Amino acid sequence: MTTAPANAAPRRWQDGVLLAALILLALIWMLPVIAVISTSVRSQGDLLGGGIFSLPKKIHWENFAKAWVTGDFSTYFKNSLFVIFTKVPLGILIAALASYPLAKMKFPGNGWIFLFFLVGLAVPVQVALQPLVVMMRELGIANTLFALMPPYVAFGLPLQILVLRGFFRLVPTELIEAARVDGASEFTIFWRIMVPLSVPALAALAIIDALATWNEFLLALVLISSKDQRTVPLGLMQFQGEHSSQYTLLMAGVLISIIPVLVIFLFLQRYFVTGLTAGAVKG
Amino acid sequence: MTSLSTSAAAAPVRARPRRRRKFRWAMLTPYLFLAPALIIYLGFLVYPMLVSLYTSFFDWDGMSKTMTFIGFGNYINIFFGDEVARQALVNNIVWTLGCLIIPTGIGLLLALALNRGLRGTVVLRTLFYAPAVLPLVAVGLIWGWMYNPNFGAINLILRSIGLGRFAGGWLSGYDTAMPSAFITYVWASIGFPMILYLAGLQSIAKEYYEAARIDGANGLQQFRHVTLPGLGESHVIVLSLAVIGGFKVFDLIYTMTYGGPGRVTQVLGTWMYFQAFQYYHAGYGAALAWLIAVIILVIAIPYIRHMSKD
Repeated sequence: MTTAPANAAPRRWQDGVLLAALILLALIWMLPVIAVISTSVRSQGDLLGGGIFSLPKKIHWENFAKAWVTGDFSTYFKNSLFVIFTKVPLGILIAALASYPLAKMKFPGNGWIFLFFLVGLAVPVQVALQPLVVMMRELGIANTLFALMPPYVAFGLPLQILVLRGFFRLVPTELIEAARVDGASEFTIFWRIMVPLSVPALAALAIIDALATWNEFLLALVLISSKDQRTVPLGLMQFQGEHSSQYTLLMAGVLISIIPVLVIFLFLQRYFVTGLTAGAVKG
Repeated sequence: MTSLSTSAAAAPVRARPRRRRKFRWAMLTPYLFLAPALIIYLGFLVYPMLVSLYTSFFDWDGMSKTMTFIGFGNYINIFFGDEVARQALVNNIVWTLGCLIIPTGIGLLLALALNRGLRGTVVLRTLFYAPAVLPLVAVGLIWGWMYNPNFGAINLILRSIGLGRFAGGWLSGYDTAMPSAFITYVWASIGFPMILYLAGLQSIAKEYYEAARIDGANGLQQFRHVTLPGLGESHVIVLSLAVIGGFKVFDLIYTMTYGGPGRVTQVLGTWMYFQAFQYYHAGYGAALAWLIAVIILVIAIPYIRHMSKD
């Protein structure tokens, strides 16, 4: 973090001003989050009387319990977690399998197949929506969580293949050649050499993918309509529709739905940043 | 020639006469590894894309068996018939130009500020990045509450500092709805450019700055002649992704304004959704979707080319 020009002494007061400005900006940036917390812990009467910038008369923790129960968030959490725990490992395994030959083998079509996947980075979900609805009906999985998984995997592949191919290319070719001489099959090389050596990249991708899956809205909106199959963003929209003027309850629901993402982000931030920059900047 | 030399290297261990057959199987290996990804990608991304291209040439409600072929009728309607679609396209363009300048500019400034090795940099970086990980549905609801005419934080602040006459229904005003939604987008999207620019800044060698200083370059000149060119790769990525993301916008508009008031905040993404799934104009919706896809693909060409280069 210290590539700044190093003529430190005359810059000290300027740095102080800069730091103060940054802290002020950070406070402004956190204002919406502060507003949500401040709203969610009071009674509706306290909110309408005192406003969000007053000290709450009493902390109403029960808002969260009430939002959790009336909003049926347990169902939405269960559904979203089910999709995440199936889709994320499956998608990353498929992406890793594809990335190995793209990174380490020469065969006809290598460059073109990679380019073909890359183009997917620029394909908006909208262009597949209506046909996916028809396809899921024909496959007999319309309106179930299983309808989400194939398109989620498909739309996740381009970024994951881009990142993993980059990482796999960094694995020394001599290592692979040595394993081949020892008679290892290509799958053994993939599973015993490529995968273990790319754990940081795989972990970063898994975290980014889990968050993206938790947050995804448009595909779920179109593919899921029954109440018991809703994911968290759909459930939150439903909750908003039913309690749009009960601000304290609504913001408690919003907070419930974002706490898992914030916790994961805060604790696993290091992986997160690695994954993002690796995906964007070539290996 | 890796895979060929592979089998050549592995084959001598086994019996020689089998070499030819072995060689053929080895040729299939890369495609076997690629098969699951290709099947899913072709089946659930490429195929539906092509189906919707086909649909876009028909008048179709999305359910019934009868589809009427109308050629480019839907596309002609976008540009010459449907006023909302034109409004949506203009909104998309303005929005995307905004995305190109504002969140990226703030991201660059923050990256420069956070790259000076000040105390608390890590905490600040975390705070500025955090909104980017939130579900956009939640972001929309949070800011819907911020903009609430009676109890929202923005109007409360305006009133408390004596600017109460500016307080209003931000998302329900025809002139304010779009800028208000855009501010929300900026809040949620400075994180990515900031992180990328930080990574870019850290990869610029210190020696360049030293050389520039010896040559008598001041801070601004160093920025112009060392920092900005040094961020070349970051610019390609940040600006491309800003445009792609800006053109795809859906969740925020859907949750904050639902395209309103009237239809002033409709963008192509939401208008496509309304047409295909609310008004049952599946053919027209598909044409709108393809318009979005073509625009994004064209804009993304430099990015894709950059990423596919070795």
